Amino acid sequence: MNAEQRRRWHGAFGLLALAGSLGCGASAITPARIEASIASTFANLVHVQVSWLGLPPMAASAFAVNATCRRPGGGNNIGSGEWTCALVWKGPDKQTLTDTYDLFVTTDGCYTATVATENLGGPTLKARDGTDVRNLLYAFEGCFDTT
Amino acid sequence: MTIHGVRAVVRVERSKLAGQIKAQVVLAACVLGPFAFAAVIRLQSSLPEDTLFGRSVRQSGFAVPLVVLGFAALWALPVLTSVVGGDLFSAEDRYGTWTTLLTRSRSRGEFFVGKTLTALGFSLLAIIVLASSSIAAGTLVVGADPIVDLSGVLLAPAEALRRVVLAWASVLPPAFGFTGLAVLVSVVSRSSVAGIGLPVAIAMAMQLCALVDGPEPLRRSLITSAFGAWHGLWTEPHFYAPLVHGTIVSALYLVVCVVLACCVMQLRDIGR
Repeated sequence: MNAEQRRRWHGAFGLLALAGSLGCGASAITPARIEASIASTFANLVHVQVSWLGLPPMAASAFAVNATCRRPGGGNNIGSGEWTCALVWKGPDKQTLTDTYDLFVTTDGCYTATVATENLGGPTLKARDGTDVRNLLYAFEGCFDTT
Repeated sequence: MTIHGVRAVVRVERSKLAGQIKAQVVLAACVLGPFAFAAVIRLQSSLPEDTLFGRSVRQSGFAVPLVVLGFAALWALPVLTSVVGGDLFSAEDRYGTWTTLLTRSRSRGEFFVGKTLTALGFSLLAIIVLASSSIAAGTLVVGADPIVDLSGVLLAPAEALRRVVLAWASVLPPAFGFTGLAVLVSVVSRSSVAGIGLPVAIAMAMQLCALVDGPEPLRRSLITSAFGAWHGLWTEPHFYAPLVHGTIVSALYLVVCVVLACCVMQLRDIGR
């Protein structure tokens, strides 16, 4: 293969790589990305919620949230649309809790999570001082990097 | 072409624009729209829950400019940024004033640069007015309370305000990209309807494309994706890649459109 042919091959490979990177990639909405995002967001929200309810403060890491997410229809576990996430975490009194959220994930990596179980209460909660506070865990939003 | 000549064109275009009802109506809508939105939110029971931060609009006034930004990115920003750029060149065709203009002491290049800078300046002004009005509406009507970000962290008012300003600043590059597109359509089509309407139609088509799952690089190459790049500034830790990609893509749109428009303008046989 002479220098001219080598240059042509390199050019062809370059074009193929460019075409591949532009048009042949899979969706960036993956279980790993959703799980990492919802677990940390949920832990931070519980931290805020505990303080709003007037309970003794706890660090977000103390809730040890672990998320497992899948698409409800099964099949290809990737892409935007509806997802279900099971969150296993430690409550303020150290008991292990499991909650399930229904998610709607958009192509830009943002999602709305709505609680599917009844353990976490309704849209508002009563604080220790009797005031009504918004239940941050009832429905919340988050975003993650899709690049 | 001289800076003095470009300045003279900008000065004339600015005074023409200041007298146009269209520009005044657009700026008035930018001032009043967010206050009307905040007032409606205060009065009605339902919330715009399908938009990011829509659930927080009654808890914190800083959610208001973010909800307005989310809504505006769909169609209002392409309209705001095309309304002047899409008309500035074609208006001369409509009134048949090119021949008069070009017999003055300013060159064709000076007219092009001056008019393009005026269009970009109006886009900048409209976004600054809309952002300021949204922040004022939120903090005055709802209150400057802390807000929970997109990672569940509670932000103090000063930090929330800083991030709201950054979020609005992040939409300037795609806004300028759309202005460049409007200038190109205006120069090529010589029609204000096309100059304003086509960029808005393109923005809507891109929004629809972005709803479909597809390769991430393809989605990132759509200029409308840059309107949502601010999401990364509201998470912990921040992610900047969409912002960087969006800014590069917007700059490419702007440069390509303006260069093409300039070539068409220079090669045009005016007077026939």
